[in-house]
Amino acid sequence: MNFQGRDIISMNDLTREEINYILSRVPEVQNHPNKASLCNDKVSAMLFFEPSTRTRTSFEVAMRNLGGKIGGFYDANITSVVKEESLWDTVKMHDGYGFDVIVIRHPLKGAARVAAEAADIPVINAGDGPNQHPTQTLLDLYSIRETQGRLDGISIAMVGDLANGRTVHSLTEALLKYENCRLIFISPRDLAMPRSIIDKCARASIDRGVTFVEAGRIEDHIGQVDVLYMTRIQMERLQERALAEKFRSIYRLEAGMLSDAKPNMKIMHPLPRVTEIAQDVDETPYAYYFQQARNGLLVRETLLALILGAIT
Amino acid sequence: MKDRPITIAKIDSGIVIDHIPAGKAFLISQVLGLNALARKTGDIIAIGINFESQSLNKKDIIKVENLSLTRNMLNVVALIAPMATVTRIENGKVTEKHKVDVPDSVGDIVVCPDRFCITNHEQVPCKFVIVGKDPLTMRCHYCETEFFGPLIKYKEKN
Repeated sequence: MNFQGRDIISMNDLTREEINYILSRVPEVQNHPNKASLCNDKVSAMLFFEPSTRTRTSFEVAMRNLGGKIGGFYDANITSVVKEESLWDTVKMHDGYGFDVIVIRHPLKGAARVAAEAADIPVINAGDGPNQHPTQTLLDLYSIRETQGRLDGISIAMVGDLANGRTVHSLTEALLKYENCRLIFISPRDLAMPRSIIDKCARASIDRGVTFVEAGRIEDHIGQVDVLYMTRIQMERLQERALAEKFRSIYRLEAGMLSDAKPNMKIMHPLPRVTEIAQDVDETPYAYYFQQARNGLLVRETLLALILGAIT
Repeated sequence: MKDRPITIAKIDSGIVIDHIPAGKAFLISQVLGLNALARKTGDIIAIGINFESQSLNKKDIIKVENLSLTRNMLNVVALIAPMATVTRIENGKVTEKHKVDVPDSVGDIVVCPDRFCITNHEQVPCKFVIVGKDPLTMRCHYCETEFFGPLIKYKEKN
């Protein structure tokens, strides 16, 4: 399997075998004797058209850890974009500056795919609006596999705003490539998993033995799952502030609720968290969200090393 | 059936698209860009609406006095008129008659219904994959949104 020069735009472009291959290369990069010089003649263009904390920092650190350099911009307001330069032209220009890879974040859906078509060099999607964020999904899958030893047969509850959260859509679609997973979608009815994703689960139940259920209460399912994947109720998506406050109080996890949890259960969260995980959960052996965020660095290092041809 | 005197004249060379559901001929003409073709070539294009039909009761029919539309190009007709037939006529003789097949993908003829899609903000030609035929369901190549039914809106072309 060869990832050199390949774009990473959507999880839908990756097969189960390719996902497994990427995840399996993580230890090699971490333990590589020449890790600090794997990409020492490579430069990454960071085209960040909207703010980012974890993704941006971890890509920067990943490139630095491999000996590479970075360029680009983090604020489109200081570029020619304010002069209405098109995305296509902005990408084309950076493509010609001698960069080796482009990492792009953009508020509009499909922007990363446009960038990949404009550029000759490989493009990594670091989030295109509410659509895809494949490196987040890869780090989620890596975290699940690391803590549970497998991806097939995983029982996972996803909690919170399942209507608007791209991470839960993407993670669900990725898990549907695996066998016999149990998916529990816990949300207020107003923020339920979109019908198109539920339909895909129904199809996968025939093809891959997936079982799934939509539910309303976290407490009813904590004892059954291997992974509790919490998400933020996105205040900006709900018209009524009072409703958002209400949902936040209902879909909140506290340490006292974890007495029935299985010993292997891990709590994950794409971060940032607001109130959905109480701080007392951080001290429990189930909390895994900060390690999960750290795994983002490992997965991004691996992806960069593969795409830049530093490892095969 | 009552005898109706109005017909569209026979063509010597060109394409006849028949068995179009009544009221859909203008939309098909728009999607195929027949206006632009007529302007460019000066060839005659006749659009007939509400003709009598045994199978459809009422039907539309399009006759194009031009042979440049390929079978592939004409397959987009199936998106709007799945039962349509295409007859190719050369020098007064029928050289080919076929049904239309829903294509696997379509180009810049549909508008992505997602307002956050890049294609609705920048000059990017749209592309869609057909992911389901019944009901006709499309997925945007860029934003990956899947949609069907009234959300499928065809682009206005002059």
